[in-house]
Amino acid sequence: MTIAIAAPARRSGRWLEDPGFGVYVHIPFCLHRCHYCDFNTYEGQEELHERYVDALIRDVERNVVDRPATSVFFGGGTPTLLAPRALGSILDAVRDSIGIAGDAEITVEANPETVDATAFEGLLGVGFNRFSVGVQSLVPRVLEGLGRTHGADTAIDALRAARRAGVEDINADLIYGSPWETDDDWRATLARIVDEGPDHVSAYALTVEESTPLATMVATGRVPNVDGDVQAARHEVAEEFFGTAGYERYEISNWSHPGRASAHNVLYWSAGDYLGFGAGAHGHVAGRRSWATRLPRDFIAAVDGGTTTESGYERLDDDARAGEALILGLRLATGIDLAGFTRRFGPRALERRDEAIARYLDSGLLERAENALRLSGRGTMLANEVQAALL
Amino acid sequence: MREQYLDRMDLERERGITIKAAAVRMEYKAGDGETYEVNLIDTPGHVDFGYEVSRSLAACDGVLLLVDAAQGIEAQTLTNLYLAVDAGLEIIPVLNKIDLPAAQPDKYGEELASLIGCEPSDVLRISAKTGEGVPELLETIVASIPEPKGDATAPLRALVFDSTYDSYRGVIAYIRVIDGALTKRQPINFMAAGIDADADEIGVLAPDATPVEELATGEVGYLIAGIKDVSQAKVGDTVTGRDNPAEQPLPGYREPKPMVFAGIYPIEGDDFPLLRDALDKLKLNDTALVFEPESSGALGFGFRCGFLGLLHMEIVRERLEREFDLSLIATAPSVGYEVETTDGIKKVVRNPTDLPEAGQIEEISEPYVSVMVVSPSEYIGTIMQLCQDRRGSLKEMHYLSPERVEIRYHMPLAEIIFDFFDQLKSKTKGYASLDYEPVGLHSANLVRVDVLLNEQPVDAFSTIVHRDRAYDYGKNMTERLRKLIPRQQFDVPIQAAIGSRVIARETVRAKRKDVIAKCYGGDVTRKRKLLERQKEGKKRMKQIGSVEVPQSAFIEALRLDQEVTSP
Repeated sequence: MTIAIAAPARRSGRWLEDPGFGVYVHIPFCLHRCHYCDFNTYEGQEELHERYVDALIRDVERNVVDRPATSVFFGGGTPTLLAPRALGSILDAVRDSIGIAGDAEITVEANPETVDATAFEGLLGVGFNRFSVGVQSLVPRVLEGLGRTHGADTAIDALRAARRAGVEDINADLIYGSPWETDDDWRATLARIVDEGPDHVSAYALTVEESTPLATMVATGRVPNVDGDVQAARHEVAEEFFGTAGYERYEISNWSHPGRASAHNVLYWSAGDYLGFGAGAHGHVAGRRSWATRLPRDFIAAVDGGTTTESGYERLDDDARAGEALILGLRLATGIDLAGFTRRFGPRALERRDEAIARYLDSGLLERAENALRLSGRGTMLANEVQAALL
Repeated sequence: MREQYLDRMDLERERGITIKAAAVRMEYKAGDGETYEVNLIDTPGHVDFGYEVSRSLAACDGVLLLVDAAQGIEAQTLTNLYLAVDAGLEIIPVLNKIDLPAAQPDKYGEELASLIGCEPSDVLRISAKTGEGVPELLETIVASIPEPKGDATAPLRALVFDSTYDSYRGVIAYIRVIDGALTKRQPINFMAAGIDADADEIGVLAPDATPVEELATGEVGYLIAGIKDVSQAKVGDTVTGRDNPAEQPLPGYREPKPMVFAGIYPIEGDDFPLLRDALDKLKLNDTALVFEPESSGALGFGFRCGFLGLLHMEIVRERLEREFDLSLIATAPSVGYEVETTDGIKKVVRNPTDLPEAGQIEEISEPYVSVMVVSPSEYIGTIMQLCQDRRGSLKEMHYLSPERVEIRYHMPLAEIIFDFFDQLKSKTKGYASLDYEPVGLHSANLVRVDVLLNEQPVDAFSTIVHRDRAYDYGKNMTERLRKLIPRQQFDVPIQAAIGSRVIARETVRAKRKDVIAKCYGGDVTRKRKLLERQKEGKKRMKQIGSVEVPQSAFIEALRLDQEVTSP
């Protein structure tokens, strides 16, 4: 039994002329780092957890802005390594210093082995209303290959515990196309996930990122590299399973039940503004993209010393902003709203890219639908090709 | 003093070859108490420079036939020996490098003796490195080489046997005064080139340049006459005096004739003007190099260059890259084909894309060469097989010794300019040596094979081959390209065709996935940078019709001697 959540526009998964305002909070700790992971996260460092939470709160408190967030996202790392009360105190700081809209989507990422029904209740209690569970796969061999420490049943248990606790908005994160996965493995994972019926699924093709243990395994020939053709085929299998089960794909790698798209996700793809807090967190406000110092220790020291946590930024000119907005928006399945886009970025933004747009409309990677410009089905899997030309 | 004096260019020392002849004069006090003036000219040994050898020989009264005591007689030894015999020169057989542990002077001395028809004991044994045997050699030179035969009272005739270009002094011509004498500041004329000049400086190399007032009959030296281009003081030309000119030039002059052609292109299109300047500069001391601009749809703007042979081509290419810091791509080498069209017109085709349509061709003739291979006799079968595979016909075979054989084939030059030498070396464990000389044109069943990407011909890959070899070339090239061309949005057929008939086909399958899976924690900057890199990469692609081909694919595809292993 679920209750409809307010703000349907932000949850429709469509491009937004007014994307709202987001807050991202980064928790850079994990029990164990997965083989494929190149995120800013660290094993151990338990002694820093408390000081890190404290620093985060103080950093939020000194960045007072009166702009209520329409979405808040706690990502990691593994945010659920921290106690619900600790996460709640950070969220309180956000609410007090920045503001959180009444209908805001407030998400926290959870790894299956770190959460049970009590934990979910606790997280609901401190204000989170959406949970993203890192399932990745439901085949033991694949989980092991990825370096995940939880089993398939643990992941299922986590999804069920969330439901039991009364969570109304659940996302399951999946990874496909790893070297350890067969076509049948992927189908088995999809079948079980669809059975569990989360409201939202993110299914990402595994990317071998530089300087990860996986990259070393591939480079030394211990593991075959990922195969783009195989991943493309698995993406089609996912489309088929999710489509049949009533999910809509609203972004390249994201599916949801109607009205359950992730508002925070859509904010990113609509080139919206967001603040980022925590080690290595990224923020974007009006064409200024910035990022924080990566090491938790340095982050804490910066806050303690009263200096900025920012380690770099770039400022985009109008045309670069428009180009970026275009490539981000094209990740959404319904594409960009041309009228809204022109209102936001001016007529020159699209005119300057007319030739490239025409070329890809012609080759069938882009398509027009009503007043929207979007990637075609084939274009979705070749998005880089189109996006590179439109930058 | 440097260890090696005569091989001037870095490239020569590295490769252990002599590209330009060099000359020195020495004074030698012989055992008979007389002091003799000996002029030594070092000649190139390689077939590509046969004409230079012949001119050097024309400037001499006798030769030292030097054979490596560790390697024995090579094909070049025979070629140069025959040239010396033809020139009627006194020949002194010498085994060099007897200090080497692998030297076999008895064995090779006997071979050399039987080759030139003397006693094994007449073959001198020396080590130029240690000096062993050198005094005996000098005595032999004094005793056997005749004195210069020229006419000191006749008008000046001096033979140019080499020339180099110096950026400060201009052309330095190396000459042998055959008749008369050349004096400093004398007004002179280069007879073949028809150029007037003044002898600003004359001198001898002893071994450093030493100016003199006069070069008398029989003397060897250098001449600087304010000439800015070696093509005006070519090897083989005759220098005479303007005041009392000779009636006839010395015999034997001919224009160098390029045999092998290839397109040379800068990898960076912007470097085209640099390449032109570099070729102009090389041309200043390489009369044999010819080039004219051409353009290729695939490779952009470059030059069709003509070379004396494969070694010459390699040397030019290396000098361009090394001395002028250019990155170059060369098309597969080609020969000059003589084509007679149905309307009776004859033309020479040096670039396969210039070949007329098959329907307009009456006959195509290709240059043939007489190939001489000298090898240990155990490889006879292998060598004959190789030559037969390359359309060769056996002309002659004889044993130089029980273990060494000389085999002579006639075969198309086109068959040897492409990896024949490498094949010969690898099939004979490096023991066989090769030399060849042109023997005219022969008509043959030749076709042009074109390579098409998505139906668009790519000129850089067109080639002229014998009809029987067309399929092999087509299959090899299409397979290589399939591995080298990145997958595109659509299937790309790669075809090899003779006219409109497709003889081989491969397909580069459309890529199915090229998308960034996720955007981690709002890090858009990184995603954009990835796409920017992709965009930059695209800019470096050549567009062949709708197909994007990285420059590297052309380079790799044209390296026909190397396997393609990438994806």
